[in-house]
Amino acid sequence: MRKSLTKIFTVIITISFTLLTYAQKEKKEIKDESIDYCVSCHTENDILPNDYSNYDVHRISGLSCSGCHGGDKNSNDQDIAMSPAKGFVGVPNKKDIPQFCGKCHSNINIMRTYQPRIATDQVEQYYTSMHGKRLKAGDKNVAECTSCHTAHSILPASDPRSTTYALNVPNTCNKCHGNKELMDKYNLPSNQMSEYVKSVHGIDLLEKKDTGAPACNDCHGNHGAMPPGVTSISYVCGTCHVNNMNYFNASPMAEPFKELDYHGCEQCHGNHGIKKTSDDMVGVGKNSTCIDCHNEGDNGYIVAKTISSYLSSLNSKYSLAEKKLIEVRDKGMNDIEIGYLLQDAKQNLIESRTLVHTFDTVKVGSTIIKGIDITTKAISLADAQIDEYYTRRNGFAFATAVFLILAVGLFFKIKSLRK
Amino acid sequence: MTLNRKKFLNILLSLSGIAGLGAIFYPIFSYLIPPKISEPKVNSVKVGSASDFPNNSYKIVKFGRKPVILIKTVEGDFKALSATCTHLECIVQYKSDTHQIWCACHNGIYDLNGRNVSGPPPRPLTPYDVKIINDEIVITSAG
Repeated sequence: MRKSLTKIFTVIITISFTLLTYAQKEKKEIKDESIDYCVSCHTENDILPNDYSNYDVHRISGLSCSGCHGGDKNSNDQDIAMSPAKGFVGVPNKKDIPQFCGKCHSNINIMRTYQPRIATDQVEQYYTSMHGKRLKAGDKNVAECTSCHTAHSILPASDPRSTTYALNVPNTCNKCHGNKELMDKYNLPSNQMSEYVKSVHGIDLLEKKDTGAPACNDCHGNHGAMPPGVTSISYVCGTCHVNNMNYFNASPMAEPFKELDYHGCEQCHGNHGIKKTSDDMVGVGKNSTCIDCHNEGDNGYIVAKTISSYLSSLNSKYSLAEKKLIEVRDKGMNDIEIGYLLQDAKQNLIESRTLVHTFDTVKVGSTIIKGIDITTKAISLADAQIDEYYTRRNGFAFATAVFLILAVGLFFKIKSLRK
Repeated sequence: MTLNRKKFLNILLSLSGIAGLGAIFYPIFSYLIPPKISEPKVNSVKVGSASDFPNNSYKIVKFGRKPVILIKTVEGDFKALSATCTHLECIVQYKSDTHQIWCACHNGIYDLNGRNVSGPPPRPLTPYDVKIINDEIVITSAG
């Protein structure tokens, strides 16, 4: 009897334990669809990626970790959530990252769901770049998608927090290109950033926050980043400085530059450290770039000297007119028309500086003459206003003196009448 | 105390003398310490006949101190925008072949609504209103 009771008790305990275990397992498998188990488990275990952020564009668009890494975000069972059967691929090899991102970014059907206007040739472009070519060849030091965009804090380039926002691009590129040790391996300089920050473009972009100024990618491209070639460099600069490019390419200098393997614009202006141009760059002075190739007596030397004298004649006349304009303004006289004329003269000055790239003294000269005519007109208008000011002032002084004498005279007359 | 004629004339003459001195000295003080007078603001400018303005052409108009570009589109609509490029303040022009506003200094391009569409300009051009009153084009400050 006692044995039977023990048996019954054992069976009951076993059944209860089995049922309890089953119930617990069942309970465990009740899934809450709203929970992203990738994030919750990795947060709980403090193993989220270092650069993970909640404002990542993919996360905001509703893609979970599994959107890129595969697996099942709705399962809280690690074996299921991270099983190859559920498509889990884990952390990709550096070499595979472009294809990894390209799964979606090269697929127009997927991309148009999120960004109908986004390009889908980034991966294709990437493999045309030096970064892409080297990565394909097995170089693990080169930049791939995450090097510039980050892996888990990706934001659109229009977002000021993004590593690819115009103001942040130089620093993003400089993470690698400023690393001397790394760049030495490729025989590349690592001082581009230090030169760029002092350049006219760098000052405009980084100090004046002018996002229209070019960052690295505006000249080198982004996904297809390459150093511009000898012939393409003038086209690169010409995207903004279009007239300079057209004039230069049509000038008699274009052909010799090609023959001598000179780097178009870069030959005179430099590249990363381009300084604001000055009229001293033209001519035969010590700051001139013309004398790098031309010697006294040759035709180029004479052209440089002539163009330089043209520029300085308009420049000095324009400076004089500007001083007169300020004087007219300070005297409270009408400066509107003078201001308009000077605006026209400034256009002529800019135009003639651009026409320097034709290396044609006639073309530069005719624009300079127009500018000088306008400036002369502005100066004579200013002089007329200044003369008018002094005429009014002298007239006023004279009238005041007359009235004072009259008043004093009147006073004495009244006094004599009283007597 | 009665006010006789002589006394009355003396008071009148003294007051006139003070007023006369005031009239002499006030302009001197005003000259030495000029009053703050703001420049009159230009709110509208008449430009000329609408029917004489050819389609697909433009002209630069003086609007106070600011140049304004007035464009007559291919369709015959008038557009007026600030003519100063938002990049480095060069004067923009209308390109009749591409129907865009172009800044020759750095190849900045704006559409006909003044929106900066390519090149370095950071901001759009400021729009002005254009009204045609009895065939006369009148440009006014927008808003």
